[in-house]
Amino acid sequence: MIRIACAVAGVLTVLLLQASLIGPLTFPVPVSLPALLVIVVAIYAGPGIGIGLGFSTGLLADLGSDQPAGVQALCWMAAGLVGGMLGGLATERGYGTRGVAAMAAVLGAATGLGVALMLAVLGSHAASAAAAVRLVVPVGLTDALLGLLLVPAVRAMLRAQGIRAARPTADVLGRGHVAR
Amino acid sequence: MRRLSRRQQIGAAVLTAVALLFISLDFAGGSLRGSRGGATGALGSLYRGTDGVLGPARRFLQGIPDVGSNRTEIAKLQAENTQLRRQVAAGATDTATARRLKSLQLQADSAGWTVMPARVVATGPGAGFQWTVTVDVGSREAIVLGQTVTDGFGLTGRVVAVYPTTSVVLLAADPTFGVGARDTRTGALLLASGAGSQGLSAALLNGKANSGSSVTSDVGSSVRVGDHLSTGPAGQTTFVGGLEIGVVTAVTMSTDGSVRVALRPSAAQTGLNLLGIVLKANRSTPRPPIGTGSGADR
Repeated sequence: MIRIACAVAGVLTVLLLQASLIGPLTFPVPVSLPALLVIVVAIYAGPGIGIGLGFSTGLLADLGSDQPAGVQALCWMAAGLVGGMLGGLATERGYGTRGVAAMAAVLGAATGLGVALMLAVLGSHAASAAAAVRLVVPVGLTDALLGLLLVPAVRAMLRAQGIRAARPTADVLGRGHVAR
Repeated sequence: MRRLSRRQQIGAAVLTAVALLFISLDFAGGSLRGSRGGATGALGSLYRGTDGVLGPARRFLQGIPDVGSNRTEIAKLQAENTQLRRQVAAGATDTATARRLKSLQLQADSAGWTVMPARVVATGPGAGFQWTVTVDVGSREAIVLGQTVTDGFGLTGRVVAVYPTTSVVLLAADPTFGVGARDTRTGALLLASGAGSQGLSAALLNGKANSGSSVTSDVGSSVRVGDHLSTGPAGQTTFVGGLEIGVVTAVTMSTDGSVRVALRPSAAQTGLNLLGIVLKANRSTPRPPIGTGSGADR
């Protein structure tokens, strides 16, 4: 219950930060702080949590915007899935903040590209494949910078008493992560 | 590399299907309009609240790249603005004064007068009752009682009091003011007097239209609307001759045959700033008057 409350608070916080701070400041580079949060949480907490968090955050962001509902839900869910699966690699090799931030930045740029391509296919707004490809590098670099701030915060939050996953050793043993 | 459990795989597949369903529903029509409106509204109010806190920080961050150039630009524009304001304020006064001085000069040149420029420093003590102004020249500048005052366009008044450094000018609009006038078209003689805020009025010297006088036997031909009146024949009035008094705006004849003429003064009677006092003779004065010697040059 506490984990759900924390997840809701975290998602709302990053959505509000995205809308009122990150979005206006980084315009026209489509940097997404919520997507980055989903990826970082998935890297540390596993694909199960990544999928759930990605879908719910993406759907909320979709409904709060005027683009087709489900696009960000689908893409961020995929980002959570991939992030959770690759996260095992990161924890096994003992990546530090910079390593995790770099991994999250690459995934974030790929997620942004996926969202932009889907929007271009659906003919939403001014999204185009060319613009999506052109903006991959700026999005990745900005995501890397944001990741350096976000990764320690997420790590500290997930280690906090009451939020911590019940069986963190399961990741290390490679038995798969079970969300409780 | 982590792998998905069986349950997670099912969950992922279900959520993917739901997402695709949402996309197709939203793409096909407005099925999600209600939920979209609710989410947008709820997030919108949260955005507004957040913006109250984060807005200043965001604007600060957004302004950082422009700080240097903006500050220079603002300082430059402020200096420019102050300069322009000063120019406008000074320019308006200077232009009016220069125009007035020029017209005084022209009038002095063409009539062969010597004109003493005088700045109005005060209006009459009884505002509304007595049409007088005080000017900044007096007996030290050889001003004497009864001298004619002009504003460069026409008759303004005459000097009624002289002090060492100031003089009082009775304006033509004052009800006690009277001046002999001549119709420049017909030569008819009239007596013009002040009518307060109405300007000036005038009466034919012979009074009645049917008095048999050669000048006034035909009122229509002696005075008409649009005629110009100037100060009377030289030597027969205390005013300098040939100075325009005003333009006739109405001619009325009362039942007893007396004729009244309404005049629009040629010289402004309010808002006076720079006047010229016509000196009869050249004198040695502390302030060199306009037009000295210019009559002899031509």
